[in-house]
Amino acid sequence: MTGWKETPSQKKKIMQITLKTFATLKDVIGQKEIPVELAPKANLTDLFDFLDKKYGNSFDRQVRDQLTKELVPFLILVNDKTYRSIADMDKSISDGDVVTIMIPFDGG
Amino acid sequence: MSINTLKYKGYVGKILRVNLTDGTTSDFPITNELAENYIGGAGMAARILYDELEPGIDPLSPENKAILLTGPVEGTMLPTASRVGLYSKSPLTNSFFHSTAGGHFGPELKYAGYDGIIFEGASEKPVYLFIDDGLAEICDASHLWGMDTTKVQEELFEELGSEEIQIAAIGPAGEKLVRFACVICGSRALGRGGLGAVLGSKKLKAVAVRGQGDVNVPDMRKMKIFLDELFARFNANPSTSEILPRYGTPVLVNANNTLGMFGFNNWQDEFYPEAEGLSGDTMRKELVKRDKSCFACPSRCGKFSIVGKGANKGVMVEGPEYEDIFSLGSMCGHNNLDVVAAAERLCDDLGVDAIEAGVAIAFAMECYEKGILTDKDTDGIELKFGRSDIIMDMVKKVAMRETKLGNILAEGVKRASEKIGKGSADFAMQNKGLTFPGHSARGMPGFALGYATGPRGGSHHDGRPTGERTGFVKRNTIEGKGEYTARINHLNILTDSMIVCHLPESVWGPLDITDILVRCLNITTGMNLTLNETKKTAERIWNLIRAFSVREGYRREDDTLPKRFMEEPIKTGPSKDMVISKEMLDYMLDQYYDFRGWDRETGIPTRERLLELGLEDIANDMEKYK
Repeated sequence: MTGWKETPSQKKKIMQITLKTFATLKDVIGQKEIPVELAPKANLTDLFDFLDKKYGNSFDRQVRDQLTKELVPFLILVNDKTYRSIADMDKSISDGDVVTIMIPFDGG
Repeated sequence: MSINTLKYKGYVGKILRVNLTDGTTSDFPITNELAENYIGGAGMAARILYDELEPGIDPLSPENKAILLTGPVEGTMLPTASRVGLYSKSPLTNSFFHSTAGGHFGPELKYAGYDGIIFEGASEKPVYLFIDDGLAEICDASHLWGMDTTKVQEELFEELGSEEIQIAAIGPAGEKLVRFACVICGSRALGRGGLGAVLGSKKLKAVAVRGQGDVNVPDMRKMKIFLDELFARFNANPSTSEILPRYGTPVLVNANNTLGMFGFNNWQDEFYPEAEGLSGDTMRKELVKRDKSCFACPSRCGKFSIVGKGANKGVMVEGPEYEDIFSLGSMCGHNNLDVVAAAERLCDDLGVDAIEAGVAIAFAMECYEKGILTDKDTDGIELKFGRSDIIMDMVKKVAMRETKLGNILAEGVKRASEKIGKGSADFAMQNKGLTFPGHSARGMPGFALGYATGPRGGSHHDGRPTGERTGFVKRNTIEGKGEYTARINHLNILTDSMIVCHLPESVWGPLDITDILVRCLNITTGMNLTLNETKKTAERIWNLIRAFSVREGYRREDDTLPKRFMEEPIKTGPSKDMVISKEMLDYMLDQYYDFRGWDRETGIPTRERLLELGLEDIANDMEKYK
């Protein structure tokens, strides 16, 4: 094979997205943005499963009601388009997407 | 002498009436009917003021009245049962206005022996009222006149011999009748609507309260079990247990800006590329020294900050809150958080609403940018967006009515735009005289409808942004938003009558009145209300307040938005191209009036709906205005 090289993500059959956060989610993740590798055709639920596994209870407390263990309502941006945690978690994400998890915040 | 036959707990059962003209006081008993039909806080005050004020009076005349009032829950251990409200006819909006504050004043007032205080008439000389365990005294305040709100509190602690006293005070702005003067309680503000100017017009400098009394509930065992459940819910919710305690309201800078809904340069756009400098993350890192809580609140959203560098090094403030960061920062086109913090403290000290003050400065900046105001009008100040170095000076000029421009802006942006003319009304970002706070109209149609129909005008506590901003409902649609907004109105007016804080709204609602609020009321008072009865009570109060506005001349054409929100789409960011056109607003207004049973053409509540709500006297009154 000449003239073409697989990228590391193609070799592992994974895709890479950028996850952006702020405030308490940034505190959990440690940075404002991180690269996340997911299987191709992953959706938002897969991303949250990954974050649950990696960050455990500290992530869970930011996004789920601790009595019902259900996701509370908040918005998620995939690039510039908004999705709802209570309705759109099956939204598929693609290689190179920028996903911003808006924290669930009342008030103002 | 009246005999108090109030059968409900939670209340003290009486309101102190203070006539400042003749210096007399008397008790106003809370009746069962008043409690059942109007609960307390905003509802009860609206009923009293509707009955006692003549339509058309000057809000800054002795004919106006101001009521400080709590609700039945204040002083119990229910989460956020900390609040006190101030109610009057507003000099900004010329209609019924309510503004509430947390802190500790509300509970202390009840412990001192009163649910509230009605102030009427006007004193010839400056006075303050001191209530000490049920004993009320009107005291000379000549020596306090001219002092800022911090100094007044320090002086009264000294004079009354204790710091275990809660004080509400106006600053110089209230004395000078700045139309958006506020009242400061401790370090919290009865901020909006210019009610500090009403107290100033009455020469009432401060109210000090201290007491050892109790607030009784029907069954303490039942209350304790309920409190365990409530605190568990607060502790389980990410907003009340994690985000509010850590970052407070400034977390909204990044939240709103990321969605492209963060007012910038007087709402010329809603995406501010440099917003990170104003964010909750930056504030936590650079300013915040510790967290603060209001009475009985587990969420500790208050932030005690000290400016650590620059010209304002050493300035201490409780805050800044999100709205201050918006008004004194991004609206004026800069991201200097140190200046915002210092300017908020200055607003509190001088006693002006920081939202109105910042938006007034932003309005003047746009006038300058467009050449409507020149160096001659600004006394040589280059009033450009982005100039953080002039914010402190401008706040002072406005709050103290210094210079011709400061005096014009002290009237609020609606009146200022009428005075300045030259098309400036198109970008005077207000409704009914009240400026919009930092929540997008163009990005959230239901919330835009809340702004348009709100009896207070540009308030974010008549409608609420939370449902659309967090995805409880779809943001990008106008369908169903009439009913959506009306139900949120009812949730808000109920919580403002109980009175509990709006911030934990995902625990309380957030889209409608829920059983948990009904239980809060029943367990505190023994009222035994059903969910439907509670919703009807909230709707009754909302209609009463609408009737107050109708009586003052408000109609459908006043339920509107500024030209900018209806004709200029958002320019950049994730909400680019969003706008609330006149057609969209009219469609939602029809939905809203239909759901409410209000006349589509005038916006006046129909006789049938008022009768259903038990408001026969109001229905008869409204006949005059059709």
